[in-house]
Amino acid sequence: MWKVFLKELKEVVRDKKTMFFMILLPLLLFPVIIGGVAYFSSKAAEDAQNEVLRYTLINARAAPELADTIQQAKGFEQVELADGVEIRQWVKEDNVDFVLEFPQGFVTDPLQSGEHRLQLYYNGAGFNAIKSRLEKLIDPIATSAQRNAFASINISEEQQKVLITPISLEEINVADSRENIGEVIGGMVAYVVFILCLQGGMIPAADLGAGEKERGTLETLLISPIDRNKIVFGKFLTIAVAGVTTALITVLSMAIWGVIAGQGLAIEAISSFLDAIDVLDLILVFLMLIPVVAIFSALLLSLSIYAKTFKEAQGYMGPLVIFVIVPVILAAMPGIELEGVWAWVPLTNVALAMKELIKGTMDYYQLIGIFVSTAIIAGLLLGFCVHWFNKEKVLFR
Amino acid sequence: MITISHLAKKFAVDNPKKLSEQEQQDPRLNGKFFHSVQDVSLTCEKGEVVGLLGPNGAGKTTTLRMLSTALKPDSGDIQIDGNSVVTKPLLARKAIGFLSGATGLYGRLTGRENIEYFGQLHGMSKRAIDTKIDELADVLELHTFLDRKCDNFSTGMKQKTAIARAVIHDPSLVVLDEPTTGLDIMAAQTVLNFINGLKEKRIPVIFSTHHLGEVAELCDKVTVINNGRTVFNDSLANFKALAPDSLHQAFLTTLSGK
Repeated sequence: MWKVFLKELKEVVRDKKTMFFMILLPLLLFPVIIGGVAYFSSKAAEDAQNEVLRYTLINARAAPELADTIQQAKGFEQVELADGVEIRQWVKEDNVDFVLEFPQGFVTDPLQSGEHRLQLYYNGAGFNAIKSRLEKLIDPIATSAQRNAFASINISEEQQKVLITPISLEEINVADSRENIGEVIGGMVAYVVFILCLQGGMIPAADLGAGEKERGTLETLLISPIDRNKIVFGKFLTIAVAGVTTALITVLSMAIWGVIAGQGLAIEAISSFLDAIDVLDLILVFLMLIPVVAIFSALLLSLSIYAKTFKEAQGYMGPLVIFVIVPVILAAMPGIELEGVWAWVPLTNVALAMKELIKGTMDYYQLIGIFVSTAIIAGLLLGFCVHWFNKEKVLFR
Repeated sequence: MITISHLAKKFAVDNPKKLSEQEQQDPRLNGKFFHSVQDVSLTCEKGEVVGLLGPNGAGKTTTLRMLSTALKPDSGDIQIDGNSVVTKPLLARKAIGFLSGATGLYGRLTGRENIEYFGQLHGMSKRAIDTKIDELADVLELHTFLDRKCDNFSTGMKQKTAIARAVIHDPSLVVLDEPTTGLDIMAAQTVLNFINGLKEKRIPVIFSTHHLGEVAELCDKVTVINNGRTVFNDSLANFKALAPDSLHQAFLTTLSGK
């Protein structure tokens, strides 16, 4: 068995295409993609903050103080409304970025006038920061008006606070930070790791089964005096190792790049979270992964040996991803807990268990049940794979 | 000595209507089964070379695959030195060296690694493998490319490597399924020289071919299969005697059943 395994591994390692997907892609490309997305989105936000906004004020005379503040502010450029143009049309035609309309009879003193609604017209298709930038200008004026009003009717600052929010809800979350972050990250981990294990095993699997058929090496292998079971186990192990390696490298790469990228505050959150997780729980997470990888590998190898060509094998394997994604997404959805029916849904239960382990709220006895049931499924699938390797109809299609 | 007696093998056909017209008219199609091999018998003594002839689809490959244990016969028996291949496939696997024209190599491994792998599968020791590879490399002139990856080999190089791979374990019987099909003249000649070498060592060879020239050059015996049945099984001399002027004519005579 080890002879087959070592030889297959040697072939996988020498295959540039597989190596690219297994190592280079997660190591370099993922950080570049994630970093790129982060860079461009933060750049877009920054641009929206710094961009010069063209605007038109309607009825500005009603609120000289506000109008003045906006006119004085940096990064704003006033444009007069052309005659006879409707406001909506004016904004739509991109003559200005926004139009601010003051109501008739605007007075800053709230006691005299009640609430004022300023109407802000802008084109919301696309990313912008108009509202937040305007609020930054308007809020100080509103607050000072509020304070003056309170002062004029002799209400102390204490009373002011109470008047503004007479009843407030104070949240006391008893979940520790590990449980909080674990809920978010735990669901992600299972999702990412499962998909990667499957993806990483795919190309080697296609090569190990259908590839041998296509190249005409399978027949020679089958008639060599080695047990069929050993051939299957050797190939099965190779696929499993490839899957796990891909997943580990990717998770490691994401962790390392995450730490590098998230300097400062983020690093504190991450490191305190990582400190909270026991080594035992991490080991258990990987232990749970073993039967899952076994399921994937057995499935991939079965499909591959059935297929006539490499291409056909890949065609069969594509839909497999969907069958894996659905149960894992279920586990990542909020509200689905490791209890009742869900504890017996294959793959979903493992994903949920991983989440619980990362959160630190796992019932370890339940873990045994999940591990055993998953291992049994893996065993059955492997048995099926061996069965197919003994069927002439599958081998000589 | 190898004895194949009354071998038969059928394959299930999923949907007979999907087969081509020619296949549907084949007398071997019976309901849901295609009786690829119905009654094939032949013998091969020590030191003999047996040529297996027959039109395309006659059942040659199926017969040889049953001999090499890749397929299990439905009925009949194959015996190598008195041991049944059907009941003890492992013995046959150890005894047989198998090669076909379509046999491939692992492209990402070097020639040496390819040969080594099969040596290991045959349970040979590292030293035994090394010695044997050296010996084979001398005979087959592999030295110049033995440690390069097979992906870049020419057809001739590939075939030489495949031959070395097939005989790494010193087989007591060599089975070749159309070993020269698809090869250029040089590569084909390598195969023929190799068969000659086996003949000198008195290792029995059974090979299928479409080239009657090869048969005339190498074979001691000729077996002709048509529609899954042995229609001729005798010495080369008797085969030639069927039509003194031309081997082709002799071959056609066996097919027509006269």
